[in-house]
Parts: sequence; C-alpha cells; structure tokens
Amino acid sequence: MSTVLAGYGLVKKYGPTTALAGVDVEVRERDSLAIMGPSGSGKSTLLHTLAGIIRPNEGQVLLRGERVDNLGENRLSALRRKRFGFVFQFGQLLPELPAEENVALPLMLEGTPRRQAVDRARRWFAPLGLEGLEQRRPGQLSGGQAQRVAIARALVAEPDVVFADEPTGALDQRTSEEVIRLLTSVTRASGAALVMVTHDADVAAHCDRILQVRDGRISNYSQFTVA
Amino acid sequence: MSSPVLPLTWHLTKSSGRRGLQSHLLAAGAAAVGAFVMLVIVAATLGAGTRADHTKWRTPDAVPAKQATAVQALATTYVRHEPVTVVSLAQLPDREQTPAPPGLNSFPKQGEVYVSPALADLLRELPVNQLADRLPKVKSYGTIGTAGLAAPDELVAIVGRTPNAPAVSKAAGDTSSWFDFGQTERAKISGFTGDTPSMFTSGDQGIAVMGVILLAMPVVVLSAAAGRLGAARREQRLAALRLAGATPRQIIAMTALEATALGAVGALTGALAYVVLLPALAQVPFGVGTWYVDTLWVGLPWLATVVVAVTALITVSAVSMLRQVANSPLGVAQQADPRRTRMIRLAFFAASLAVIFLFSGGGLEAKQAVALLLLFYGAFWLFGPWVVDRLGRLVSRFAKRPATLLAGRRLSDDPRGAWRTVSGLVLAGFAAGFFSVSMLGTDTSQYRGQIAVSTANASEARHAATEARTLLSRAGVTATVTTGRADVYDNLLSGGPGVIAHVEGGQEQLDTAVTALTPLGDGRFPYGQDYAGGSDKAAFDRLDAVAFGTLALSFLVAAASAGLTAAANVLDRRRVYGLLRLAGTPLKVLDRARVRETVIPLVVLAGGTTAMGAYGSYQLNKAAGATINTSGAIELVVCVVIGAVAMFAAISGSRPLLRKVTADPAQTAD
Repeated sequence: MSTVLAGYGLVKKYGPTTALAGVDVEVRERDSLAIMGPSGSGKSTLLHTLAGIIRPNEGQVLLRGERVDNLGENRLSALRRKRFGFVFQFGQLLPELPAEENVALPLMLEGTPRRQAVDRARRWFAPLGLEGLEQRRPGQLSGGQAQRVAIARALVAEPDVVFADEPTGALDQRTSEEVIRLLTSVTRASGAALVMVTHDADVAAHCDRILQVRDGRISNYSQFTVA
Repeated sequence: MSSPVLPLTWHLTKSSGRRGLQSHLLAAGAAAVGAFVMLVIVAATLGAGTRADHTKWRTPDAVPAKQATAVQALATTYVRHEPVTVVSLAQLPDREQTPAPPGLNSFPKQGEVYVSPALADLLRELPVNQLADRLPKVKSYGTIGTAGLAAPDELVAIVGRTPNAPAVSKAAGDTSSWFDFGQTERAKISGFTGDTPSMFTSGDQGIAVMGVILLAMPVVVLSAAAGRLGAARREQRLAALRLAGATPRQIIAMTALEATALGAVGALTGALAYVVLLPALAQVPFGVGTWYVDTLWVGLPWLATVVVAVTALITVSAVSMLRQVANSPLGVAQQADPRRTRMIRLAFFAASLAVIFLFSGGGLEAKQAVALLLLFYGAFWLFGPWVVDRLGRLVSRFAKRPATLLAGRRLSDDPRGAWRTVSGLVLAGFAAGFFSVSMLGTDTSQYRGQIAVSTANASEARHAATEARTLLSRAGVTATVTTGRADVYDNLLSGGPGVIAHVEGGQEQLDTAVTALTPLGDGRFPYGQDYAGGSDKAAFDRLDAVAFGTLALSFLVAAASAGLTAAANVLDRRRVYGLLRLAGTPLKVLDRARVRETVIPLVVLAGGTTAMGAYGSYQLNKAAGATINTSGAIELVVCVVIGAVAMFAAISGSRPLLRKVTADPAQTAD
C-alpha cells in the first residue's frame, strides 16, 4: 500500500513552547493510526499539522507525494473540504439541519445539486446503523447517533484521510466501543486512511498503529494486526 | 455573614477577558441606543404638547360681551407657502385693562406691531411689497417672546388695533368658507386663557404618540437582544458555578446584578447622549419647525423612568434567558425540537382583521381607533412568527445552495427569534408606506395661481375688481382679474362674492399679489391655494414627518438589534462555526447564511408590508380621487434602501468577529 499522507521533520512552536520537535510520520492507504499522549504532549498539534489546519515552522506535509503545507489559505481550506474528513468530540453538527442534510453539507459545498447530495448522504445511513434517523435533528439524536452522523459526514465526500480528534471523548464506554468500531471499519471499507487522536488505550487498540507522543516527539510506536 | 454575590459578580465581570468586555460593551451600547431613542420620542411627544399649549392664547375663550375687555381676531396669511399667524388685538374703551398676551410685556397699543424673531428675519429678507406691506407700517417692530411662540421658526405677528378697525370686525372673523377653519377666528375676550391650540400644532402630539407606539416594540426588542448577549458565556459560568456549589438563586442574582449594572450604565449613557445632543435634536424640524431646547427637555422624572425601564428590560431578558438554561441546559444548547408555530396564529390574525374591518367603518372615537390599532399590532405580532416559520420552510424546500438552506432552516428553527429582529421594521414599514404616499384630503391644485379676496356682495366685488387691477398693475403683477359668480364653484370663492386674480408667474408674484390686494380685504387677508389647503397640508406634513421619523428611528434601532443579534449568534455558535471552518467550510458560506437569515425575512416581510401600506394608500387615494404623493413615495424608497443598507452593514459588522472566532480553528476546537 502506498503512502497517502506523510509528515517529515515537523516542528511547531508557540512562542517559547515547542509543541512538535521534529516528528516524522507516514500514513498508508486504508491505514488507521492512533496518536496518544498526555495533555500538552503535542498530539492534537500533530493532527492539526497533518490536516493542514496549522502550518509547521519546519518540515513538510505531503499528500500523495505533493507538498501541501505551503499552500495558500483558500487552497488549504479546499483541500480539507475535498480530500479530508473530520470527526470531533462533539458540537460539529449544525443543530438546525436534519441529519441527512448535515451529512450532505460537504457535497453541497462542492457544488453537488442538493437532491443528489442528499441521496448520496442517505447511502451512509444504513452502514452506520442510522436508518430511520435521516430527518432527525442533532438535538433529537443520542451522543452515539450524533457521532455516527458525524462519521457519515466525514466520509460522504470520499476523502483520502479522515481525521478524528477524541471522537469518543464525550461517550460512555459501550457507545464509545460501538462508535470506534464503526469509524475504523467504515473508514477502511471506504478506502480512506484514519488518523485519530485519543487518550483512551481501548479506543486506540482499534487502530492498526499507535504513535505515542511526549514533549513533541514520538516516544513509542506500536503496530497491531487488526482482525 | 454578608452575601458573596456582589463581590463575586464584580470579580467575574472584571476578569471576563476581552470577549467578555466586548459583550459588555455591546450590551451597554444597545441599552444606550434604546434609552436614547425612547427619550427622543418621549421628548417629541411631550414637546409637541408643550408647543400646542404655547399657541392656545391665540384663540382664547370668548366671554359674554359685557365681560369682554378686548376684541381678538386671528388671521392667517401665507408667504413662500409658509403660514404667518396674525393676531389682531383691540382694547375695548372704558373696560378693564386686558392682561398682556404671552410673549409680550403689556397689551399692545393701537399701531404697535410685534413679530416673532423668525418673522422679523423674513421681513428683513423679503421685499416690502411681498410681505411687510400686509402689516401696518411701523417704525420698528416689537419682539414676541418665547412664551408666545411654539417654536423658533414660527411666523407670528401681534398687531394692536382700535376696536373699530376692519381687522377685528365681525367680517374679519367670518368663517363661512370651509378652509377658514383653524385659520380665521374672532372673539371678545377678557384674557388669554383657552383650550384650543393652533391648527398647526394641535395634531402633533397625537401623531408623535403614534410614533411612540410604532417605536416601542423595536426598543423592547433591542433591549432584549442586549440582555441575550453573552448568554453563551453565562451558560458556561452557570455550569462552572453550579459545579463549585453555587445555588441557582445565587447564579440568577449574579446575572441580574451584572445585567442591571450593564443596562444602567448603557441607559445612563443614552440619557447623557440625549442631554448632550439636545441642542442638535432641537434643530430637527417637525411640524412648525425646529424646537426650543427647553421644549424638548423631558424632565428628571421621565429621564429616570426611561433609564429604569430600559435597565429592567435588559435585566428581565438576561434572567429569562438564564432561567431557560437553568431549567433545561441541554434543551437550550442543543434545542432538541424546532420552535414550531401553530395555525392558531393565522386564525387569530384573520379574526382580528375581520374585527378591525367590521368596526373601522367611520365615526370612531380616538380611544376606539387606538384600541383597533393595538389589536392590529398585537395580531400582527402573533402572526409574524408564523409567517417567518412558513417562509423558512419554503426557503429550505427550494434552497439550492448551502447558505440559503442554512438560512431557511434557521428561520423555521427559531421563527420567533428571527421575527423579533425584523418586527419593528415590518410594522414601521407598513405605517411609513401608508402615510408616505397618502395625500387624502382636498385637492387644491385647481386653485394654483389664484388669489381671492372675499367681498360682502356682488356690487362690492365689481368695484373691488377695478381696484384690484390698479393695485396689481402698480405692483408689477401680471394677472387676469375676474369676479366670483354664484354658479361657479371651482375657484377659491366657491360661489361666493369676491374677486379672483389669476396671477402669472411664480411664488414671488403670488406673494406680491397677496400683499398688493391686502387693502381690499376689509380686514381679511387675500388668500390663495396655500390657505385653502392649509389644514390638510398641516396634517400631511406631520404624518409625512412622523412616517419618515419613525422609519428612520426604526431602522436605527433595528440595525442595532440586527447587529447585536448577529454578534450574539456568532459568539453563541462559535464552536460549530469553528469546527465547520476547520473542516474546510468557506467563511463566506457561513457569513452568507447568517446574513440571509435576517435579510430574507426583512426583504419579504418589511418590504412586503411597506409595499402593502403604499399600495393600500394608493388604492384609497384612487378611490377618493386624490393625487398620490410621488415625492413621498420616492422619499420612502430612498429611506428603505438606505435603511436596508444600514441593516446589512450592521449585520456585516460582526463579520470580523466571525473571522476572529474561527481564525484559529485548532484553538476553537479544543
């Protein structure tokens, strides 16, 4: 499998604080990578740097071999919209839109006609166990259901990479287990890679690889074989 | 043990950071605008009453002949289309000395002429054959003091006469023509107490009250929006303080305290702005012109009442917002169900309209008319959210682009909130639309170019016609002079005896003709189209002024409300905006969505009702055969366009805030 996303020699400083101190990381197609570490270790900074949300002070980020960290803000924004998907802890769904329109939003932003976008969005409801919830608004969904809608939204535009930042942080253990299993399996099935920040070892265990980050450096690297 | 609420509130307010300070400043700013607008409209209402009171002496109560000490006659003549009120006074011989009229130190002696400062300026400015020659010739004019005047711009003269002078004769007080009403009076008097204000000031207070009614709701909405600001911050504080062990009562007390302090600071600032700007406000013409500064001073009790009312509104709004959070924090944060509106609103509106049509046939007393107006207002207030809800659903159904879809969903999600932002303009727009094009009343355009002089009979008219030709020729006025005929009604004499001069040339020639023909009037001034349409014009000018004043102030308040609401929404929704932007949603999509959220109901509802008002007025005018006030319609369009741009600018004003709160998505997401 070829490398879809890579970061080499990534350094990020916030004033006197060094959040990333020369990190190298590669993500292959259909790969799932968990980034773990204590608070302030730089794990979220690493995810945001790889996702083109923040620019590194040094180093390069490559997407399918093309450098992306030096793109202009508009092109970076378009890149995030078209090539990446995002799942956050909570609060990412627009409360006034029904679930299917929340999922269809990235497609509509790309100019897909609304009906077509909603049709494509609906296809994600069955694999994620959301049938019958298409018209529900986020406030009418449970936490687990809302996260599954967020996963559908992250995948609907068929991205190269899905970034997840503590996607189960606001869920109970059982729901968390269910959501993470769906996230990893559906992402893999879609052909996208997954990069996820988590502090939960049980959640990280669902990924192919785990990166331990401490003081802005990779302190440990583990590889699992997921059945 | 003393309560910890006050010191804790002070500490939290002080340490709320830049964003907290922004919210505080915006809330205080809204309170300032609310208090300022309220004070201005209260000042206009009270001031209009004071002005009217200052004119009552010109039509004092008549007394029986035996008790009379003087004869008073009121006449009105026009120069450059402006009315000049001339009060002739004659002391009756062998009677007690009549007291001095307001504005003079003593009762005027025969031959004395006192004029208002504005009239003195005009007398100096215009050639004598256009104005000064209408008054008795004097070496110098006395000055009427402010006690006898409604406004600095008023054109008033007091002329001392002998009791047998034509100007105070019965003929001079003849009010047989329909257009004499309010412009010509005569009475035997013993003083200057009276209850009848001048025609030019009598309707002002009622019209100003209409402005108050129309503007009250936008101010309430603005204050409520100010109270809503910082709701998200307070929500976080609620959670943190509850965890720290604070009781709901303590949290509500802290919120109330903070909102009261901010509201009071803002309202006092607005009150201060009103006081400081009083001289500038006094320069805004309404009715009889600009104002005396003290006429617009509302007094300390009113000042305090407005400050307290605005502060209370903000406090109640902030506490009620917090109560919703306290009762169901998740319900507010997530808002599980859309706040749908029911069909009962439409039914109530329809029923109210039926009642209004049923009872508005005519012959209504003022109180009944106000009751019907309030019913319409209330019904419309309930109906508005229903329309916004349906509009939102319609927009969402047919939206093709994400920004429009978002705006439509937001409208149907919280139709009451969206309605509150635009409601003031919707109602003001209707009134402004109606009054700006309305010209109901008598069409006097057929009298253009005519100057009439009434005579006692036809033979006097023939004699007067000959003399008129001589006088006009001597004054250099080209005119055709005819006498009135009993079977001709389409001229200023309406079938009565007298002389009509058809003057060629502009207003200067007409003013010269009136002046030249004054000696023929036997105590009455010659009159033209302005005199015939004086009463209607006075009413229309005021309606016009209040329509545009209301619309302009509504736009000011609505723009402030919309700007505040937009800023509050950005702050309340900064997390979701931040995350959407992080996921690549262009800022302009988020921005367009929130602008359309206000612009769509504004254009449809406010534009619709303004057009409805204008159309209704047009139809009414058409039915009555009256002309349309085209200049008013143009002014309305200009006002609406400027106002809409101001609102758009106010909403766009929070764009930097949106950019800022989403600028560092990484920080926002955390």
